[in-house]
This record gives sequence, C-alpha cells and structure tokens, in this order.
Amino acid sequence: MIKRVSGEQWLAFGIILLGLFMAWQLQDIPNDAGYAGIGPRFFPSLVVTGLIVAGGALLMQRRHSNGPDTILSDGENDAAEVEAEDEFARGDADWRMFAIASGSLIAHMALIGLVGFTLAGTLLCFGICRALETRRPTLDLVLSFVLALGLFHLFKTLGLNLPALMPGGVL
Amino acid sequence: MESLNALFSLGFATALTPANLLWALLGCTLGTAIGVLPGVGPAVTVALLLPVTQSVDPTGALIMLAGVYYGAMFGGSTTSILLNTPGEAGSIVSALEGNKMAKAGRAGPALSTAAIGSFVAGSIATVLLTLLAPVIAGFALQLGPVETFALMMLTFAAVSAVLGNSPLKGFIALLLGLSMGLIGIESQSGQSRFTFGLMPLIDGIDIVVVAMGLFAIGETLYTATYENKIAGRIESLKGSFWMSKEDWKRSWKPWLRGTAIGFPFGTLPAGGTEMPTFLSYSAERKLASPEAQKEFGKGAIEGVAGPEAANNAAVTGTLVPLLTLGIPTSATAAIMLSAFQQYNIVPGPLLFDTNPELVWGLIASLYIGNVMLLVLNLPLVGLWVQFLKVPRPLLYGGIVVLATMGAYALRQSWFDLMLLYIIGVLGFMMRRFDFPVVPLVVGLIVGPMAEKHFRRAMSIHQGDLTVFLTHPISLAILVVTAAILIVPPLMKRRQKMLQAA
Repeated sequence: MIKRVSGEQWLAFGIILLGLFMAWQLQDIPNDAGYAGIGPRFFPSLVVTGLIVAGGALLMQRRHSNGPDTILSDGENDAAEVEAEDEFARGDADWRMFAIASGSLIAHMALIGLVGFTLAGTLLCFGICRALETRRPTLDLVLSFVLALGLFHLFKTLGLNLPALMPGGVL
Repeated sequence: MESLNALFSLGFATALTPANLLWALLGCTLGTAIGVLPGVGPAVTVALLLPVTQSVDPTGALIMLAGVYYGAMFGGSTTSILLNTPGEAGSIVSALEGNKMAKAGRAGPALSTAAIGSFVAGSIATVLLTLLAPVIAGFALQLGPVETFALMMLTFAAVSAVLGNSPLKGFIALLLGLSMGLIGIESQSGQSRFTFGLMPLIDGIDIVVVAMGLFAIGETLYTATYENKIAGRIESLKGSFWMSKEDWKRSWKPWLRGTAIGFPFGTLPAGGTEMPTFLSYSAERKLASPEAQKEFGKGAIEGVAGPEAANNAAVTGTLVPLLTLGIPTSATAAIMLSAFQQYNIVPGPLLFDTNPELVWGLIASLYIGNVMLLVLNLPLVGLWVQFLKVPRPLLYGGIVVLATMGAYALRQSWFDLMLLYIIGVLGFMMRRFDFPVVPLVVGLIVGPMAEKHFRRAMSIHQGDLTVFLTHPISLAILVVTAAILIVPPLMKRRQKMLQAA
C-alpha cells in the first residue's frame, strides 16, 4: 500500500514539473496579437496554472489520507465491486516484459526507415508476442511476418504510403 | 413531422444507395469484430480509419465510422458473456451476470437478450434522435460564442468530475489533454506555442497518434507488465440458443428501462456508456421480482438485458450533442468529430442546413445498421466466437503493428512513432494509477475549439468577462457546471458526517 502511494506522489511531482516547464516556455509565446487583452498566451497560462494546482492537490491529498480515498455511496456499490475485482486482478509488475515491449517499439522506430515496414513490423509484432509470454514463439514469428506482409500490401493498395526495403516494394 | 419528411426523402435516399449500404455493412462488421476482440475499442479503430477514409466521400465514411461505434457495443457483449473480459468499458456490467449465465449453460439466451436488447434500444434511441436533433439544432442556432464556450466548460466539468472515481484525477487528465491541444500554431494569431523549436510539432499532435498511444500502446504495455498471468476461459455455447417465453417476459421491461436510462445519459455531456450501464444494473437489481432477485450474482437475465440496452441507447444518445452542438461527450465521439473536421465539415446546428444529406443519411443509416447488427450478432454469433480464439500475444502484436502503421503513415516520420511511444507510456501510467482517459481525449479535441469561442466572445464584447454571467443561457449553463463540481463532494462529506454520527 505504501508503495502505491509513493508512486502516485511521484506522478504528482511529474505533473507539477510539467506545469513549471510549460510556465517557463510561456515566455516564448508573444502576447501582442490579442484583442481586448486576450492574446495567445492567455489560455496556456490558465492550463499551466491548473496543472500546477492540480498536481499540488494530488500531492497533498495523498499526504493527508495516506491511502485510496474512495468513499462510495450506496448507489455506487456495484462499481466498487468491479473495481475491487480489477484491483485484485492486478498482479505484481513484471518490468522485464515492459522492457521487452518498449524495446520492440523503440527498435521498430529506429529500423522502419532502414529495413522497411514489413521486416520492422514483423520484429515488432514478434517482440510484443514475447512480451506477452507467448508459448509458441516460432509459429508467432511466422505469423508476424505473414501479418506484416499482408498489412503492407493491403494498405499499399488502399493508397497508404509505407516504406519498403527493396525498390519496387515486395517487402 | 418535418424531420420525418427529411428522414425519408433525404436520409433513406442517401443511406440506401449501394455504396452507402456497403459502408454501413463494413462499419457494422468491423465494429462487431473489434467489440468482440478484447483490447481493441471503437476509439482506436475510428482513429485508425481516419487516414484511410481521407479519400472516401464524407457521407460514406461517417456512416462507416458510426457503424464501428455502435457495432462495438453489440460485439462487446459477446466477449463479456463468454470470456468474462469486457471487450468494451460499456459492457463491464454485462460480464457480471452474463458470464454467470454462460457458466450455467445459458450462454445462448444471454447473448440473445443482449443482441435483441441492443437492437430495441438502438432503434428507439434512433427514433428519439430523429425527433430531437432538429429541435435541439434549432435551439442551438441561437447560441453565440458566449453560450458555446459555457457549454464547453460544462462538458469539461462533466467528463472530468463525473467519470471515474476521483474528480481530481479526471481534471489532471483533462489538463493534460488541454496542454497537448495547445501545441502547434494558434489559429487566430498564427503564433506557434510549445513547439520547442521542433518542426514536426508545428501542426500539433495528431489525434490518431494520441488515440493509438493511449488505447493501443498504453494498453499493450499494461497487459505485458501486469496481466500476463491472467488466463481467460471461453465458455462454450451449449444448450438452447433461443430465449424461452420466460426469458422474453423477464427481458422486455429491462430493455425499455435500459433505453430510458441510457439515451439521456448519452446526450448529456456526462458522457460515456459506463455510468448508464451501472445505473441500469442497480435499477434492475432493485426492481426484479423476489425470485429473480435471488438469481442476481448467479446469472440473472435482467442484469444482461438492462445494461446492454442502456449502452446502445447511450451510444446513439452521444450523437445528439455531436451532431447538433458539435460537442463530443465520449472518446469515440471526440475522434469522430475530428473525422468531420478532416472534411472541413463543422458539426453543429448549421449542419442540418448546410449538409442535410449527410446528417439525414447518417441518421437513416443507424436504422439500417441496427438491423444489420441484429443479423450479424444473432445467427452469426458462432463466427465471432472464433475471434475469441485468437491467441492474446498475437492479437496485441497485431494491434501494435496497426497502431504504429497508423502513426507512421501520417507523415512518414519516426518522430510520430516516438510521440506514439511517449503517449503510450503516459497511457500506461494513467491506467496504472486509475486516471480516466476520456477527459484527455475530449480536452485535446474540444480545448482548441473552446479557446477559439472564448476569444471570439471577448472580441465581440470588448474583453468584458462578465458577459458569461449576464447572458441568461450562459449563466444557466455555468450554474449547472458549478453544481456538478460542488454538489457531489458536499454530498460525500455529508454522508461521511452522517456515518460518523
């Protein structure tokens, strides 16, 4: 429980930092073009203030209550049950799997321009399968390739421009 | 009567052309499929279809996107009932009773009551939409920028304070959406904001990237990190498929009550399909006969019939503010709004005058689509069950590839893929810490519109901020907004005090 609270506080810090960073960036927005005192800087200022205040509130809320602050009225009982189930269902975090999924996405980003959509997509799909603990990796690798190749040709026909490995573009 | 005339002379004439019938069928089929597949929702599908539909005629494209939206509600129930994993947020409740029914060998009647209930609710809600939309549009014509801005404030307050269990988290999500909406060139002054000198950010962050990031990438990261150990079990379709006389007798009232609860909720900016389904479920639980009440928690058919009707009626209901006011009240509606914008069509009161064929064609297609969905979901349900057998790793792999493709195809740039990943991580964290996502999407789409209306109001009224309070309609809307924000916390506090006493 303690771990959960601290995670949310980190998030609150992050939101406040984002607000401060945006406040600093506000200075780059010229404020001259405004009618009646309302320039392009006005709305961003409101949003930035909101972020800092809301982030602060989230931080304070956690300090005070030190736990989930959900008080449910009678009518909300059913929602609470479902949520409790959801909470129960959330097991321990498996960060190795998070890393595999993230790595696949980042590798795809780096590779798509080099090896084309089909191969990068195959790798990505296969990587996600691994991250979700597939039990039959070889078959998934084959199916990933078939899927990526199929999508490549389907969307090429539909007029979407996707990068190919070879000029002429079979792959 | 005028609206019926327009519906039949314009609407059905447009919707019944072979091309538009095909678009409707495609949308409904796709909607059912993604509704059935756990992990893919209508929001992400509509977003993914945006780039593809760019070259399609707007009427056909919007008919298809609407089909995806309400088709997903039909399909979602199949997954809830057979797999106990809701395919959609709106079918969480159906999983409670529906899955129990399936476990007891009554999957057939559960699926039937869900599909027929969705059909009944969808059809009634479409009639209500037909009659109400022109009236509301006529009223909305009198709304100037002041009132429109007030309405948008109401939308913001409602989506963030009412959805989810913490209003504060809702507001943070809304503010994150508003911040993303600020990025890029500001339309009135031409100044760039928060672009950090990066060229690709000048056009702003595309809704496709945000929707894919939050719903597809975020969901996949979450599943990989937290849900690998959870194994789903598909209940088989055994026993009689049809509802018995008793089932019909127990279902028809919940269908009608579900519709009555769902439709108004859809039209309100309180948005979404979860609330009305929960409400319908607790209403059915209270109103059920003593024998039926004992069945609740063990598979009561009322608990499937009511909520399934409610979620379909709510989806049709969300089209009322979308078409008449141009205000989206759910994530999918927000993305559909950007589909309109893609064609330079502004949904709102004028739409009924400027694009009558499109609006009435779209409404007529809802009647047709409901019939299509009934056929797709009842006799063909066995086909959709096959979808549930797709292994989860491969399913998510496919979703992620589609998402990256959607993002990359926008500008052929790895920059969008990086944004996609960053927003995916944000979605992951929001899911982890129970932040609602809808306020973010609504904030992103409605935020820039709200700013435009605000500045227009200010330039008309020489920067006089009090206009929002001196215009009666705007004042009334703002009072409701304040009530939404103030009343629930006060009630909570009162209850706490009562409990303590």
